[in-house]
Amino acid sequence: METINTLINLFPYALMGSVLAGIICSFLGVFVVSQRAVFFGASLTQVSIAGVAFAFLHLVNLEGLAGSVFLTKIIGASFLHEFEHTFFSLLFSLIAVLIFSQSYRQRLITRDGLLGIIFVLAIALRIMFIQKSPVAEISEIEAIMKGDILFIGANEFYTMLVVLFIVFLIFGIFSRQLKFVTFDAETALAHGVNSRFWLLFFYLTVGVGISLTTRFVGDVFTFAYLILPSSTGLLLGKKVIHVFIIAVIVGAVIPPISIWLAFILDFSSGPAAVVLSFLVFISVYGIKKFAG
Amino acid sequence: MPEDLIKLSGVSIGYKNKVIHSNINLNIGENDFIGLVGPNGSGKTTFLRTLLGTLKPLSGTIEKNNVRFGYVPQRDTVQPLLPYSVLDVVMMGRYSLKGVLGKINKDDEATAEESLKRVGIFSLRFMNYNSLSGGQRQRTLIARALAVNPNVLILDEPTNGMDTPSHYSLINLIEELHDTNKLTVLFVSHLLSDVANLVKEIILFEKDNFQIGYTDEILSEENLSKTYSAQIKISRIGSEFLITSKHPGSHGDN
Repeated sequence: METINTLINLFPYALMGSVLAGIICSFLGVFVVSQRAVFFGASLTQVSIAGVAFAFLHLVNLEGLAGSVFLTKIIGASFLHEFEHTFFSLLFSLIAVLIFSQSYRQRLITRDGLLGIIFVLAIALRIMFIQKSPVAEISEIEAIMKGDILFIGANEFYTMLVVLFIVFLIFGIFSRQLKFVTFDAETALAHGVNSRFWLLFFYLTVGVGISLTTRFVGDVFTFAYLILPSSTGLLLGKKVIHVFIIAVIVGAVIPPISIWLAFILDFSSGPAAVVLSFLVFISVYGIKKFAG
Repeated sequence: MPEDLIKLSGVSIGYKNKVIHSNINLNIGENDFIGLVGPNGSGKTTFLRTLLGTLKPLSGTIEKNNVRFGYVPQRDTVQPLLPYSVLDVVMMGRYSLKGVLGKINKDDEATAEESLKRVGIFSLRFMNYNSLSGGQRQRTLIARALAVNPNVLILDEPTNGMDTPSHYSLINLIEELHDTNKLTVLFVSHLLSDVANLVKEIILFEKDNFQIGYTDEILSEENLSKTYSAQIKISRIGSEFLITSKHPGSHGDN
């Protein structure tokens, strides 16, 4: 109990933020996994980090531009400091989603092939950007990639709260379009539902979610929570709504427990959250496999 | 006199700069029953997509007179990971009629349930789509197409990969939907005997050509053998066509 109180006092935003990040990723993960686009999630986390690495080159003074537009006093200097990284992380991700969404227009390369190219290119660019960074901020970039949930502060927490609200709103309001185009895009199009537009719209929403959570909690946590809770939900859920609920519960509950365990056992919280989520998944899988 | 629902005038179909078929002139009327046959890659799907409006014709015009399509895709293209119920799937047929923000109401639910009854799987409505047999899945997809309240039903290889009882049961259902509900039906199949025994008119797609006409006119051994680059034999058992391919070395050739 003392440990929990200490954690709440020291890292209140990290605890609450880990819940939000878990919910966002696991909710979006149901979409990603059900679309058989797991590699999309992996690629986008790397693209997002490449965007952050690009920001460290300071080729464009977006921080100053944003300060003049948004009024530094209202937004806060720390937000503006983060703005450039977040902006490029989002920009890179959205460009990657747009490229990916056009893959149906050509038959020269498979969807997986395209995602693989995006994946390796993002990693290569990230390394090159870091090498050319004019200031010694490599440790900061590495910290982002390491994915320590404990870095979540007030700005990150409120940003994720807004993202979660928008994601729930979009997926809730347009749930019919979501169902139809993800179930059978060809027939949706034949019946007058513009499945190309809607799929792009949903992928862009997922892209924003993945990009921001990667930026705040790292690629390992983000990718793992896209895949593991939704896969657990798919194993257990008898209805579509059950899949979402189970995924979100797993995504929400495991990260704060992981922080507590990581604190006690002296591990990094990000990898601990991944391993714990995997243990939940493998337990469910084992029970389903051997107990019917 | 049945009214023309769709009129194709000088239509060319294909992708970007590649014309697959050109100068297609065809009138599709109320309660027509048309079979689309031809070898793989001969342009059947391209034609269907152009007709449905998901692919623009490269040239020519397609006039549609109060047409509402119900489309049944190839079953294998629909393999969801999420556990949708049969009713969930059929309700999707209503979505396209509701606009972007329209809500599903009791009438929509009643229409979906009625569609399930028409294809004989109302009792399966709460079952998981993934747990159904091939025939039941196909009936679900047909029910979804009927939930649109279509006047033109398009089926893309609906009996592919089915066992014999399911196959004939589905053929009977399609025939019944055409006869009883007065639907215009376009039916793509690789099984020539099915098409020959079911439809009144045929569009036979070849690699660089197509033929449109009544079944008796189009289905000759010579015509089919040329199209499929194989020896095709047409027999009649009573009023039924039996169309088979003769392979070199088979018993029939000895």
